[in-house]
Amino acid sequence: MRKTTFILPVIVVVIAAILSSIYIVDEREKALVLQFGQIKAVKTDPGLAFKIPMIQEVVRYDDRILSLSTKEIEVTPSDDRRLVVDAFARYRISDVKQFRQAVGVGGIRAAEDRLESILNAQVREVLGSDQVTSNTILSSDRANLMIRIRDQARARALPLGIDVVDVRLKQTNLPEQNLEATFARMRAEREREAADEIARGEEAALRVRATADRTVVELVSDASRDAEITRGQADAKRNNIFAQAFGQDQEFFEFYRSLAAYRTALQGSNSTMVLSPDSDFFDYLKSDQPK
Amino acid sequence: MASNNGGPWGGGGGRDDGGDKDRGQNGGGDGGRRPSEPQLPDIDQIVKKGQDQLRVLMGGRGGGNGGPGSGEGPRFTRNTAFFGLLAVIALWAFASFYTVKPEEQSVELFLGEYSQTGNPGLNFAPWPLVTVDVIPVTREQIEDIGVAQGTRGESGLMLTTDENIVDIDFQVVWNINDPAKFLFNLRDPQATIRAVSESAMREIIAAAELAPILNRDRGLIANQAQELIQITLDSYDSGMNVVRVNLDKADPPREVIDAFRDVQAAEQERDRLERQADAYANRVLAGARGEAAQQLELAEGYRASVVNQAEGEASRFLAVLDEYRLAPEVTRKRLYLETMEQVLGNVDKIIIDEQSGGQGVVPYLPLNELRKSSTAGGNN
Repeated sequence: MRKTTFILPVIVVVIAAILSSIYIVDEREKALVLQFGQIKAVKTDPGLAFKIPMIQEVVRYDDRILSLSTKEIEVTPSDDRRLVVDAFARYRISDVKQFRQAVGVGGIRAAEDRLESILNAQVREVLGSDQVTSNTILSSDRANLMIRIRDQARARALPLGIDVVDVRLKQTNLPEQNLEATFARMRAEREREAADEIARGEEAALRVRATADRTVVELVSDASRDAEITRGQADAKRNNIFAQAFGQDQEFFEFYRSLAAYRTALQGSNSTMVLSPDSDFFDYLKSDQPK
Repeated sequence: MASNNGGPWGGGGGRDDGGDKDRGQNGGGDGGRRPSEPQLPDIDQIVKKGQDQLRVLMGGRGGGNGGPGSGEGPRFTRNTAFFGLLAVIALWAFASFYTVKPEEQSVELFLGEYSQTGNPGLNFAPWPLVTVDVIPVTREQIEDIGVAQGTRGESGLMLTTDENIVDIDFQVVWNINDPAKFLFNLRDPQATIRAVSESAMREIIAAAELAPILNRDRGLIANQAQELIQITLDSYDSGMNVVRVNLDKADPPREVIDAFRDVQAAEQERDRLERQADAYANRVLAGARGEAAQQLELAEGYRASVVNQAEGEASRFLAVLDEYRLAPEVTRKRLYLETMEQVLGNVDKIIIDEQSGGQGVVPYLPLNELRKSSTAGGNN
């Protein structure tokens, strides 16, 4: 009886001591063991570890990649155009000891403030440097610029115990004031294009009409020429036919044709003939004997 | 390993038994927890009871020791202990077994350290040594980017390389290809993929010209973006996989879209003008072809008519000539008289005998007047 009453509290204390002397570091974490504020151990591998209970405390830091977005800043590339830029960084705490020493108890939040100012400075510096114009930013060179910003930011952030994994620009936009001007320019470009379209349409239409008109004249005159040729051939043929027929007896032809001509020429009542009774027609008008 | 680490709990109960090794081996993990549970009543009693129960449970030797002490007590405690143990085991099993659905995978951490990835089905992770995170792996997750979001409604506006502004909305569809990396490497995967996607799209748009973005390069841009996002995510070892990028909208900004529509209208106007001209050309050309054909046909008709007429006349003449040759004098005279008969029959005639008048015809001109006066004079 006496023995058990003595043993039990001991057991409880022992358990408590053991429990508070072990700690588990997760795969996602790194831990610092502090003894009265002094860094005694750094635990970066996940798993079980031991510390002195009561005296030492464990501070855990995230070992995953953390994110940070900067606020929009206006930068002035070397061609003096202003651009609104924001960036984001991915970083991880690489050296917890250094991180703790640099940042103190502020932890991640304090680190973010420092990192953001580093980023802003590097973004300004790189995008404002000599050869960088707004055209460079708005081109495929942007990737190189981002790499430069990352490398510079990484060098600056290293003393904080932070490894900057990546810095990327997000927005690179025009400031509000310039936006309207850009819209106006875009509208003007479109208007120019629209006017150009219509003018080209009219040009093409005129061209088509003119070609058509010309083709019409060509076609019709071509046909007229062929028609005249045909008519000429017809007339020639007619002459030839007449010549062959009438040539057989020219004297009779003259007589015959004259008669036919008189018949048609003297048709109708509008002709008046003044005749002498001596004409051949009247041979038998005065006598029954031939002259 | 497991029973060693369980020591802090199991050890307490075990030591209490005075180094009973059998018991320590078999029930260390579970039985050990019991003593600390009901602390309020009489601790000594409970501890003693616990000892008895355990001894009974362990069988032969334990039962032999406790046997003489009491006949009923052990039987009662034996049942309670048995069911208690069962309940504890059931609870423990409930906490240790877990299911993974077909679209999921689990990540098991042994004392915080990555041990393995669990596949769909029933999995076992002995509590409390192993902790588990179950993650939907194959399920596609969608991020809409550029769509007007709260305060910053114009976040879809991007600047192109020719300094035009284009309004782009797109979707990134992603899933997880490595749950362990996904869990361990990124604190905020969703925000990361959003930021990476926006950055990648802006980078691509910043290197592209406006006109192709609006129409023919849309597919190309989606592919480039997918590639770039994936490369960036891989560089973070994120365990994320971009399934596809859908370019929902790539339009001119609202402020200038009317001007773009005007261009479209102008394009159609141009088309209309050209088509009208084509219609005119078609109409006029067809007319001209018809006219040309008409002229040619007319000429052919003329040829036919002239030749036919000539042939007819010639043949008529020849026929008459043949007859004339048979009897020239008579025919000649007959033809002459017949013609004159016809001609003079239709014609006004004035017959003047020159011999009687003596002065010929000339003084009586103009003859029309003469004819009128002569008729009047005739009346007189």
